[in-house]
Amino acid sequence: MKKVFTILAILASVLAIILSVLPASNLAIIPAIIALICGLVAFYLSKRTGEIKKIIQFTFFLTIIALGITTYKSIFNTVEVANTEDLEKKEAKSEEEAIEELNELDMDEIEIEDISIE
Amino acid sequence: MFYKFFVALFLLSSSIIAQNNAIAAGEKLTYTAAYNMSGILTDLAEVTMETSNVKTSKATLLRLKCKAVTYSKWDNFFKIRDLYESYVNPKTLTPYLYKRDINEGSYYKYMKYTFSHKTKTVKSQLKKKNNYEENKSIAIKSGTKDIVSTLYKVRLFDYKNMSVGTSKSFTIIFDRKEVKGQITYLGKETINTSIGKKTCYKLAIGSSQTNVLKGKNSNFLWLTADENKIPVYGKFKIPVGNGELKIKSATGLKH
Repeated sequence: MKKVFTILAILASVLAIILSVLPASNLAIIPAIIALICGLVAFYLSKRTGEIKKIIQFTFFLTIIALGITTYKSIFNTVEVANTEDLEKKEAKSEEEAIEELNELDMDEIEIEDISIE
Repeated sequence: MFYKFFVALFLLSSSIIAQNNAIAAGEKLTYTAAYNMSGILTDLAEVTMETSNVKTSKATLLRLKCKAVTYSKWDNFFKIRDLYESYVNPKTLTPYLYKRDINEGSYYKYMKYTFSHKTKTVKSQLKKKNNYEENKSIAIKSGTKDIVSTLYKVRLFDYKNMSVGTSKSFTIIFDRKEVKGQITYLGKETINTSIGKKTCYKLAIGSSQTNVLKGKNSNFLWLTADENKIPVYGKFKIPVGNGELKIKSATGLKH
């Protein structure tokens, strides 16, 4: 039992660290909470037997780092859009091309009613 | 005889309702697309919907433009630069030309539809990487629209006089195939948005087959319950978690 919780805590804390450095850092909260719970359970179980493994404390350390990175990112990183110059150029070019094509089109003002009411 | 008369009257009245009285040129709506997993939101991309006038030698058309751009933190992982355009009749939103230019990571696809409503055909042009090009002509039903103009067309319905549970169906041409869709009016709801507290019309979007009121449908759209009927919030079911579309700003509205 102790072993299972220790392994779960290690896995969850590693996952939390990985997620926290990725752009989806907010998602790191979920494995971090799991890591904390599993870590605490493993800690108490091993306390009863009298022998606390260093690895459990290490998972707490990893989890706290992950939570720290996540909090830092959510406070200081602003979401913004960058590198849209190419897209803007493409938009302008696309409009020019569209006007040319529309000029060639035969546009009769036909009214089409398309939506059927049920 | 009378039955036919009423059907004709009904169709006529619905065509009057479907006139554009909600969308003007110069409108710009900005959204944040986010991924929601158990209440934890991760912002993915900025979606912009813009309208503008386009003058051709024959007429002035409305250009409907939708853009999806990932936030800079994602650009190194998965860069999205999508552009969807539709050139439509400003009164009826009937499309004449549709372009889709998608750039997602290393994937590129370009699709162009030229609508010929007289002959009920669509000339399509598909372009991919390495100069791949394919031209095809597709037969369509009368009233088939592209996805962008359908998105705007949804705003023209008269929800005020619609009873809860009313469905409207439409046909979209996507990836050179006709797809049937349906929206169902689910009633009014007041929600908080970043442009204030808004009373909205809640709509369920889905294919015609699913029964929305039984809860099988999980794609919802909220339109403001005013003359503009702008979409302020969208919720889309994906295998794990939810996709969300939240309004950030709205400028140039008609009313």
